[in-house]
Amino acid sequence: MTTAAVSYTTPTPPLTRRVRAYFAPVNRLTGQPTLFDPSAVGSFALDTPPAPWSDLGWIADFARKSDSTISTLNAGSPALPQLQMREVVGATVSLRFLAWKKLSMALSAGSEHMNLLTPLSTGTANGSGSSAAPATSVLSGSTASLIVVAAASLGSFHAGQMIAVDMDYSGQTGYVGSGVSAAYVRSAGAVSSSVDYIRRVTFNVALVASVGNGAITLAQPLPAGIPTAGMKVQTIQGFVDREGGSFFQEWSALFVMPGEQGERMLYHYPRLQSMAGAAESAMPFLEPMEWISLQARFRALPVVDGNDGQQVLCFRSFLPSPMTLL
Amino acid sequence: MENAKDTFYVMLRNRLATLNPGRTMLLRGVQRPGILVEEAEAVVAMLPADVFVLRWSGLKSNVSLPLVLAQIECEIHYTTGGSQTASGLDRGRALEEMDAELMNILSPPFTPKMNYAVNPVVQLNTPIFWSAPEFSSAESVRDRLLRTATVTICAYQEPGEL
Repeated sequence: MTTAAVSYTTPTPPLTRRVRAYFAPVNRLTGQPTLFDPSAVGSFALDTPPAPWSDLGWIADFARKSDSTISTLNAGSPALPQLQMREVVGATVSLRFLAWKKLSMALSAGSEHMNLLTPLSTGTANGSGSSAAPATSVLSGSTASLIVVAAASLGSFHAGQMIAVDMDYSGQTGYVGSGVSAAYVRSAGAVSSSVDYIRRVTFNVALVASVGNGAITLAQPLPAGIPTAGMKVQTIQGFVDREGGSFFQEWSALFVMPGEQGERMLYHYPRLQSMAGAAESAMPFLEPMEWISLQARFRALPVVDGNDGQQVLCFRSFLPSPMTLL
Repeated sequence: MENAKDTFYVMLRNRLATLNPGRTMLLRGVQRPGILVEEAEAVVAMLPADVFVLRWSGLKSNVSLPLVLAQIECEIHYTTGGSQTASGLDRGRALEEMDAELMNILSPPFTPKMNYAVNPVVQLNTPIFWSAPEFSSAESVRDRLLRTATVTICAYQEPGEL
């Protein structure tokens, strides 16, 4: 048996136009990040990342920085370098998100990120939103894209609304939020025992596509999947973050640079924590318009590589272009 | 960009009809507001007077965004010889009146994007918006004054949109 002769090319310098960002939750309770395996899914279609990665689109000003330091042990006279040791291992990442959405805002702000729950008409004014109008129970038969509620409550919803779906707060402490650890509650008193607190911080949000046949159909699936028993739904007006707060967002991140020759560079940070407060940057567009993008800076935290037990901060993978000599 | 171009024209036409109902023209046997799209009418040797003529020119796109952002330049040409009753001696004032009308109907600089190719007309999810107009110097050609205002119209290309 013979195979057809093939031709090979020598490696060319990678040429890329832009960087795409994907983020996935870290289970804060167990400290378990979402690991990306480039050997198994490194060539995924950029528009359809593998679950549970969320596509945050093309980003700008992506910059990686190593803060690791290596020292030398010198010995003898005159002193000569005998060996090297890693003194500090560190890495940071900075970038700008071009699109504003729940997740990109939260990553940029770095602290608790809140949903602006539709308020009671009698609520007292508050910077991150006042007391919310009552939530509606989610009934069985709901899915990630279909929320079943009582027929009498259906009239409160309409297409184009944004909703948050999560449990009532009932006095628990620790990480809260379905699907994503959205905040850390130190005591019930700290959140005024507000029954809506978890829905105020949850990442389980979506846009309503239509309302009818006893259910709310969503334009996008809920990040936390099928609602569990006891969840409730509330409409939201938008989002709010703050300078300050005690919580640090921590997410797994993947950055992809697609090369012009078909090669691909992937940068995987299993654990990134925000290291800067909320900030934006303005880029001139057409006079007098400006692009307003979200600035974000992160510090990488370590994970243990299962292949050799080493503690590492990030993984850089390279998938060469086809038929390129190695 | 067809939806954006159609939307921009219809928006200007409607705003002009409201602002100055007296600026009309007779075009293909129909009296209508004094604004037309050059590429959608018969070729003529000279621009009609006292009418806004839209000419579409440059096109750019930004593909780094979640939706492609298209930018198309629209040159708005207008010319006037003033009124017959004043023997054209008011052509400067007539041009300024058209300048003011144009600035007026270009504000606010956004409008919902519509699909006029279907019946009934459908409103799309994203609006169109445009830059501040850049006015050329007034130019004298024989008995007429001419000016061109250039506006860049921006529109996100929604999925499935031409």
